Amino acid sequence: MRKSNLSLLPVFLWLFLFLLLPMLMVVGISFMDRDELGNVVYHFNLDSYATFFDPLYLGIYWDTIVLSVLTTAICLLLSYPLAYYIANASPRMQTWGLVMITIPFWINFLIRTYAWVLLLRTQGVVNSLLINWGLIQEPLQMLYTKGAVLLGMVYTFVPFMVLPIYVALEQMDKKLLEAASDLGATPWRSFWHITLPQTKSGIMTGAVLVYVSTTGMFVVTDILGGAKSAMISNIIQSQFLGARNWPFGSALSVIFVITSLIMIALFNRAMTSRHLKVKEGR
Amino acid sequence: MKWAGLLLAVMMVVGLLSGCGGSSKETLNIYSWADNFDMDVIKDFEKQYNVKVKYDVFANNEDLLAKIKAGGNGYDLIQPSDYMVEMMIKQDLLAPLDMNNIPNFENIADVYKNPTFDPGNKYSIVYMSGVTGIAYNKKYVKDEIDSWEDLWNPAYKGKVILLDDNREVIGMALKKAGHSNSSKDEGEITAAVNDLKTLLPSVLAFDTDNIKQKMIQEEGWIATVWSGDASFIAKDNPDIGFVIPKEGSTIFADNYAIPKNANHKELAEKFINFMLEPEVSAKNYESIGYSDPNTKSAPFHSAEYNADKMINLTDEEMSRTEWLSDIGSQVSLYDRFWTELKSGRE
Repeated sequence: MRKSNLSLLPVFLWLFLFLLLPMLMVVGISFMDRDELGNVVYHFNLDSYATFFDPLYLGIYWDTIVLSVLTTAICLLLSYPLAYYIANASPRMQTWGLVMITIPFWINFLIRTYAWVLLLRTQGVVNSLLINWGLIQEPLQMLYTKGAVLLGMVYTFVPFMVLPIYVALEQMDKKLLEAASDLGATPWRSFWHITLPQTKSGIMTGAVLVYVSTTGMFVVTDILGGAKSAMISNIIQSQFLGARNWPFGSALSVIFVITSLIMIALFNRAMTSRHLKVKEGR
Repeated sequence: MKWAGLLLAVMMVVGLLSGCGGSSKETLNIYSWADNFDMDVIKDFEKQYNVKVKYDVFANNEDLLAKIKAGGNGYDLIQPSDYMVEMMIKQDLLAPLDMNNIPNFENIADVYKNPTFDPGNKYSIVYMSGVTGIAYNKKYVKDEIDSWEDLWNPAYKGKVILLDDNREVIGMALKKAGHSNSSKDEGEITAAVNDLKTLLPSVLAFDTDNIKQKMIQEEGWIATVWSGDASFIAKDNPDIGFVIPKEGSTIFADNYAIPKNANHKELAEKFINFMLEPEVSAKNYESIGYSDPNTKSAPFHSAEYNADKMINLTDEEMSRTEWLSDIGSQVSLYDRFWTELKSGRE
């Protein structure tokens, strides 16, 4: 017992040095002041937190949450059928499916995002095809819109949803489905009462991964959104750079972490209560 | 066993840190923007002075500032932009230049000497300079363009691109209204921002790094563009025109400067002097495609370079330009307004 505790020491040291300590510094700086040159001044105050409640920043945060929830929902709707299909395919097809999902990760994320620019821009692939087929006369403005941002986010994060759901489906006890069908349950009924509850850990993991990653993403809004629909992470980035306001950037980061934790807790609770209902129904 | 692993890790880190000390040649450590020099010119310098040049890159001035403030990492020569030179001087981070080691300073054109951000060139020398103007595509823009007001023309709705830079954009609106681009007057700034809000529906995108691609591909028809970038765009798309609007505009520069704790200050000064040799200068600016501040290098440039009106701005155009200066505590106001413009919220 003691031996295993000791061997965990480097892990704790690592977490302390590279996770806990930086986070504590961020929390600390969020209560500080700064001078004209952007240096952090050690004078305790709550101004940075007060600034957040300005309608401007609250509004931007609201936009961020809406976009993240929407991205998570669309990812879930797309990923579940896909994961379900892969999990129920032949072993050979399963391998292929998983490889297809993972291959995009081999290519740099920025390059994949720029590929969307090539597809969507006014002289891009999609517009050229549509004009050649005579479907439109003038090129459509698809790029640098909120829709393009949503598309980019969903595209980027779908694999984060597919893989955990796939794992959950894969580990599911298939005998339960056979039993249900023997007892006369329709496929839809057994999906709703067996498959879905059994894979909710996968849904949960996927949803948290997608939601948190979307709120923290600022590159997609810049490249596909034309940098004109700022998200909270764009604001945080600018506070640490051009605006020279580390305390405000830190305060936003702290609020960001706390609200993300609250969202995760709410989601977790929603999932658990569903599960209870299912149990009672049995 | 586990301690052996830890020991190995420590040894690897130590190895990494000390690995740089192998060569006996003197090393010049440059910290600059990506692709900021012609690499052949750097090799020429290494050969001529029998030294090694190590070249690290940063992505923005704030990264540079953070590194230099944290102790400098042994950099000998850095390339801050105009306003960053001013900030670094205020924070006592730069070493005064010894002009005895840089006799070629006299080759620099007068317009680039004695800039407002470093009066008397005590700490810096202009390296790469340009002016913000309007680039437009003559295929779509048929009117004559000569004023910032032209960006507001409803005919170009949804096709306007602005630089993704707080000071550039608000400074442009201030210039349009006849004020300084670095105004600290709240009334002037507010009026300029309200004016910009009426431009927002026309804006396709804010962009700095990829604005060249957006103009070459004709996604935008009219944009605020740096002169050197305009020249680059026009080479790929011959329909592009460029003007310095009549209300005047912002001039900017990346500069040579030496951090206070540099280990090879004299070598850095020799490097600056080498870069200011007319022939070296011509080779370098020919390659990077920006304005050459060297008055003696014109004979060594290609005819094409000398004929490029976007690189070689006239004295009259230069006389209408203004450097951005530090706005002190008004940085908060600018940032708030910028956030409003970028999010479309109030």
